[in-house]
Amino acid sequence: MKAILTDITKCIGCAECVNACKVINNLTPDKPREWQKNDGLSSKNWTSVLSNQKYFVRKQCRHCIEPACASVCPVGALHKTEMGAVVYDKDKCLGCRYCMMACPYGIPRYDWENSVPYIKKCILCYDNIKSGKLKEPACTSACPTGATIFGEREGLIVEARKRIANEPHKYLNQIYGEKEVGGTNVIYITSKDCPLDFLFYYNHRVDKGRNLAGNPEINEPLPNTTKWAMGAVPFAFLGMGAIMTGTYWVIKRRQEREGNITDNGQQITDNVKDGGSNEQD
Amino acid sequence: MNRISKAKQILWIILGVASAVAVTRFIYGLGVTTNLTDNSPWGFWIGFDVMGGVALAGGGFVIAAFNYIFGKKELHPIARAAILTAFLGYAAVAVGLLFDLGLPWNIWHMIIYWNPHSPLFEVGWCVMLYLSVLTLEFSPVVLEKYPKIPLLAKIHKILYKIRIPLVILGIMLSTLHQSSLGSLFLAMPYRLHPLWYSPIIPVIFFVSAVYLGLMMVMVESMTSSWLYKREPETHILMKLRKYALWMIGIYAALRFGDIIFRGAGLFLFDAAWGTYLFWMEIFISLVIPLIILAIPRLTKSINFMYIAALSGVIGIVFNRLNVGGLTHLNNLTDIGTFYFPSWMELFISAGVVSLAMLAFFFFIENFKVWEHTPEDPDAPVKVKPKFNSFNIYLGPTKVVNRTKFSFMFVLAFALSFALISGTEIENKGIDSAQVSRARGGDTLLIDGNRNNYGVTFKHVFHQQKGITCGQCHHLNKPGDKATGCYECHSDMYNEGDAFRHDWHSSSEGANLSCFKCHDRNISKGKDYKYATNKNSTVKKCEECHKQLIPGDSKIKEIKSYITVSYTDALHKLCIGCHEDKLKTDSLIIVNNPNLAKCSKCHHEVQKFIYERKLFENFENNKWVVLPNRFEK
Repeated sequence: MKAILTDITKCIGCAECVNACKVINNLTPDKPREWQKNDGLSSKNWTSVLSNQKYFVRKQCRHCIEPACASVCPVGALHKTEMGAVVYDKDKCLGCRYCMMACPYGIPRYDWENSVPYIKKCILCYDNIKSGKLKEPACTSACPTGATIFGEREGLIVEARKRIANEPHKYLNQIYGEKEVGGTNVIYITSKDCPLDFLFYYNHRVDKGRNLAGNPEINEPLPNTTKWAMGAVPFAFLGMGAIMTGTYWVIKRRQEREGNITDNGQQITDNVKDGGSNEQD
Repeated sequence: MNRISKAKQILWIILGVASAVAVTRFIYGLGVTTNLTDNSPWGFWIGFDVMGGVALAGGGFVIAAFNYIFGKKELHPIARAAILTAFLGYAAVAVGLLFDLGLPWNIWHMIIYWNPHSPLFEVGWCVMLYLSVLTLEFSPVVLEKYPKIPLLAKIHKILYKIRIPLVILGIMLSTLHQSSLGSLFLAMPYRLHPLWYSPIIPVIFFVSAVYLGLMMVMVESMTSSWLYKREPETHILMKLRKYALWMIGIYAALRFGDIIFRGAGLFLFDAAWGTYLFWMEIFISLVIPLIILAIPRLTKSINFMYIAALSGVIGIVFNRLNVGGLTHLNNLTDIGTFYFPSWMELFISAGVVSLAMLAFFFFIENFKVWEHTPEDPDAPVKVKPKFNSFNIYLGPTKVVNRTKFSFMFVLAFALSFALISGTEIENKGIDSAQVSRARGGDTLLIDGNRNNYGVTFKHVFHQQKGITCGQCHHLNKPGDKATGCYECHSDMYNEGDAFRHDWHSSSEGANLSCFKCHDRNISKGKDYKYATNKNSTVKKCEECHKQLIPGDSKIKEIKSYITVSYTDALHKLCIGCHEDKLKTDSLIIVNNPNLAKCSKCHHEVQKFIYERKLFENFENNKWVVLPNRFEK
């Protein structure tokens, strides 16, 4: 699977990736509107560069290996491709915005200003790469310093490890995106004094330092959280049916035995069902 | 005038306003009519209309189960009303969903595109099927009114035979989607507050739906007996009270047991907004009903019973709102903006509820939902054909109410439609900036190069050319104060050592107006910027400087009058070519596109610019977005 490795120590904040993304995807200029988040991403900015005065961090869709957005979409408008990109099929979408709610990184954006809105997010230039127009995503090929590079995920993780091992005093010994939520296809390595935990969506439990029973581990893919519930669906359905049928039968028999009804059980329930229809007769 | 007629008038007015809002929502889209944001993409419509609505309609399957399956025949008188409420509730959910979905005309896609992993897929299918089941369960009430039509009578007979399987199927489907609405939030462990996020949230949702169903049936029974001035069905209420007490016990045990077992008990005593919401919810949904229903003396009063039932209903709907959005991180932390529904969202929801209530009144007045069809309470109206204080003739007695309702609806619709301002809506959410008057006169001296040679600039002339304010002054763009002259007059800095444009144009120097050298007839500015051959319009040097080329010079004619500086030469020679190539070739195919980027050489440029402009009041280690300097 293809992936992107972003090295925070190499980024100079030129925002060429942002520009390249806009050019290749024909994204129009963006007006700041109040429904946008304050992280620079919007329906017309699929990647953005954040800065804390010292370092620059590029934000984009992580293309999770087991994407929560694709798992929760009721019509399968989002799906994971064999290349690694999580792509969007706007012809299937019905606009429920469940993907936006479920994304652990808060990435998908909505065309709030349009009366025919679609979900917008980075698609790793999937269409252009598939058709052979591009060899790699526009953002990585536009990067002048090689801070963000494209390649096979395994190779990039090896490369990231190598960089960290070569300069252990410079790099933080962690590859962001290697394991979180089951691993992502956009991975980050960063400087020692610049941890990237803020890129992960906010987590109350982590914030409080409390580990709660029954909650998913940080490395557990999010689709697993709904698996038990969805797996239980047929059993709950048939089980409830069986219980109800059984109860109905037992109670009917008991009522018949108690003899507070006429010998014809059918007649009783008819009366029950039909209420005052007898009065009409 | 009586209660029911007044209630209907109010409902029609709400419906009128809601219809106007609905039209606005579909014209302008979700962004400007709702307060939904990228941070809180689900709001009141999901929390109340869908999750609350489905839970409120839970009374249908609960009463059906008690009546038909468990043989509690004493509940029978309210069974039809409960099923009708459920049917209308689900229809309201479907209608409400149409407003919330971005592409509501694609709602049928769930039938052909399947994703069985998705809880929402399952909820959608269950609601669809259950709505069909409810239609079949309720249609005998309509069909029995027409025993003379053979086809309808036949259908009635068939439905009658399969009613028990239908009830069981309805209960099965209800179990599934009432719990699956909770499963929706299993996928959001990073959003939902730990007091609500639980691995068993589907079970909690199911149990609370059963509890809410009982409470809702009580509210509905008491409300309609008040509206139609009937005797309250006390014996049924007492029966329901017993079941409700049981459900309170089960629900409370489940809720608190789950929190304590998971280890989230510490959150119960935080001094935080999320904790307050939790205790508020528990107080309304459990404590008030428990106190009233547990004390037999209080239950004798119908008013107390009403408070208890209503409190239970509001409490569980509040729970759905909490889970649906209020307790998400964007509302509880400083990450995002606090979501509160806009008045348009509230009115759409109110309109959907009004529609359902009006349909409810229609059914109970025209069909045998109750054992005794309520008397037409509008009968007193027949006293005079000319009705009400304005003495307006509203038609014959039969249609007086209809006229009145239609009038209310149309008036409310028209008024609110007129009051919704289109420009206000379109501009919602665009950051506005303060604009100050231009200082100085119309003609300014602009010292762009800071070399004491100001260039005369005629503001009025630029305005007359049809250049909008925003083309030069766009203070809203981050990192950009105003457009420099060169952005339109792109060749004004194309000068070398041989010719000093600034000296020629400055009042300190030659004090020449632009049109001394540049042709006045050729439009400058925007059109000039994109003209292909600009230099041809410039007056030649020797037209003023008669002795420019000495007689013995080897150069007889000067072909180009603009020489470039060293830096310009370098940039032009290398980068210019690359940029030109980039324009014709696609972005990536060029061998080394990065040479065309300033940042290839000027590594520090960006940092310098941003540090000066953005980080003057920078908070320590706070992340901000870099402005996109390519957007013009």
